[in-house]
Amino acid sequence: MSEFFTRLGDGAAVMMSKEDIRYDVEDGTADAADRGQIPELAKEEVDYLVEILTMPQKNVSVKRGHEGIMTFDAGTLKLPVRAGIPVDRLATLMIHERILCSDTMELCTTDYSYKSIKNFVQEEAMTMELAQNNCVMPIFYGAMPNLGQYTKPDGPIDNWSELLPMGKIAEAREAQEEAVEHAVSDMVFITGQMAEAGACGIQFDTVGASGDADVLAALMAAKELKKRFPNIGIEMGMAGEFNLGMHGQLEFEGERIAGAYPHQQVKMAEKAGVDIFGCVVNTNSNQTFAWNLARALTYAKACVAAAEIPVVVDAGMGVGGVTNTNTTPTDVTSRVSKALLEIAKVDGL
Amino acid sequence: MTKEEYIKAAIDSMIKGDEKLAVSVMNDAIADGVDAAELLSEGFSAGIREVGDQFGRGRMFLPELMLAADAMKAVSAIVEEEISKKGGTAEKKGTMVLATVQGDVHDIGKGIVASLIKTQGVKVIDLGRDVPAADIVEKAVECGADLIGTSALLTTTMGEMKVLEELLKEKGLKNKFKTLVGGAPVTERFAKRIGADAYGEDASQAVAEVARLLS
Amino acid sequence: MGGIRTAGDLVSRMVMKGMRLSAAKEYVADKLHCSVLDLSDTFAMKEIRESLDIGTVLDRKGASNGMEAKFNIEKVLGIEIPSVTQFKKKTGLL
Repeated sequence: MSEFFTRLGDGAAVMMSKEDIRYDVEDGTADAADRGQIPELAKEEVDYLVEILTMPQKNVSVKRGHEGIMTFDAGTLKLPVRAGIPVDRLATLMIHERILCSDTMELCTTDYSYKSIKNFVQEEAMTMELAQNNCVMPIFYGAMPNLGQYTKPDGPIDNWSELLPMGKIAEAREAQEEAVEHAVSDMVFITGQMAEAGACGIQFDTVGASGDADVLAALMAAKELKKRFPNIGIEMGMAGEFNLGMHGQLEFEGERIAGAYPHQQVKMAEKAGVDIFGCVVNTNSNQTFAWNLARALTYAKACVAAAEIPVVVDAGMGVGGVTNTNTTPTDVTSRVSKALLEIAKVDGL
Repeated sequence: MTKEEYIKAAIDSMIKGDEKLAVSVMNDAIADGVDAAELLSEGFSAGIREVGDQFGRGRMFLPELMLAADAMKAVSAIVEEEISKKGGTAEKKGTMVLATVQGDVHDIGKGIVASLIKTQGVKVIDLGRDVPAADIVEKAVECGADLIGTSALLTTTMGEMKVLEELLKEKGLKNKFKTLVGGAPVTERFAKRIGADAYGEDASQAVAEVARLLS
Repeated sequence: MGGIRTAGDLVSRMVMKGMRLSAAKEYVADKLHCSVLDLSDTFAMKEIRESLDIGTVLDRKGASNGMEAKFNIEKVLGIEIPSVTQFKKKTGLL
């Protein structure tokens, strides 16, 4: 029986038979369908995914005409901060436009949380103005709601992660509700400043990282921003395949936020006036790449089917089926891109 | 009620996160001659595993998980009291030092693990987040811990778990403490590679591994 | 899609308005008077971008760049670009 080179969820190389790869694909899609209460991938989609996973080429690509657009989170963090290249953010944007040929790019700062930006938003707006004068491609401004930053000692509110284990449920819920008010106010102020500086789009990134209150804050901020700046593009990227219920009872426009899966998250985003939805499915390091990709595709496909707005899937390290390793292998990322665009029919990555 | 009915009621009390109901089920069962330890493992523990699973699926939420954990602690205390009344000694539970490793500030998952491990009667000393390996070892020595648990959410910080293992070896303490590792990028293969004694993929597995290491 | 090597930036501008990918591609192709497949073809798009003066990867003397190119993109796509509006306000063009 011939075996194929593939990987485990943490990126480690492994040889697997086609039958074992198919088993994991079927198991991965069944897992997503069971958890999300959504349809499994159809047989022909499973067949095609197995074909993609077993293609002999190291890197694969989409069929001509299936190219999707690319947006970025943590955009200008990648070259000057994470890669340590001594270039400023404006040069980073232009490198992405002229050399890396990004379709869009995000201007952001090292502390990727809206709360932190409040203190120097004028300087950020100046950078956005410069970027807009120099760049042809659309430039977003982005950061995370990061509600945790409003808790002591970083902020004024009691920490619900400490209150909950003490059994102080009501107090923990109140603290989260208070944090939402602060976060919405900050996000509307900052994104408004960036809109006035000519940003083409605003990104609310890793929404839900601090639970359902984090999601509520982003949705409320997006709604207010859209009201004030109807012409600005709003992208909302999530933190995981379901909204973690740190509060558990919060609602947006009559829908409970906690426990919502991508096909439900996107509908809330639409109601808030979001233009692009960033679907996120976390990678399980212990399962195989085949299992993880099948699972990500199942959620993404259901999300695309439910959505009226474009869906871009987060396909970076540890999400969207991509293995959980900093140096993501291109055999993995290229297969993820192809499968998401051709099978889940997403609008971009 | 029959034993089976008590087991069902125990599971139900955990799912509802109702401490009063859980205590009442346990007390009634003991009065009816049901073995308290059996009810704890077959009923209440099964119930909290169900709660953990539902939490992992986004169908139950953190406040409910915490309520169930509190209810579990209350019934565990009754069982210990019952065992000591009969002249026995409760199973050795032990002490665990738990921390998110240095450079990493993610502690939601670790908090959940801590809460569930406490329900098993294990004393958990949670050192918080961004904790240097040296501080973890110092605290473990100071409180005579049996176990050291560490969590990392980032691929860039999981290496701190190896630093901890090496520090324990360097100080001649490797055989004194059992180590348990977990977090999104951590795998069983990684745990073996660095020499950790156990790996927990999620909170339920962490609880099971703690029980195994302490037995 | 290939950014300004192709029509990736232009399609993105329409996607950012909430348009699904295939509709966005058709819209842009219609405005550029080319086929949808041409949008991802660097050869075809080089000629189209140069002729419309909407910015290219390799700069050329006298060619529009940055804000200048976006003035032209606004006209070609028939949309409003926020930074162009801001520029016009600042310079008294609006």
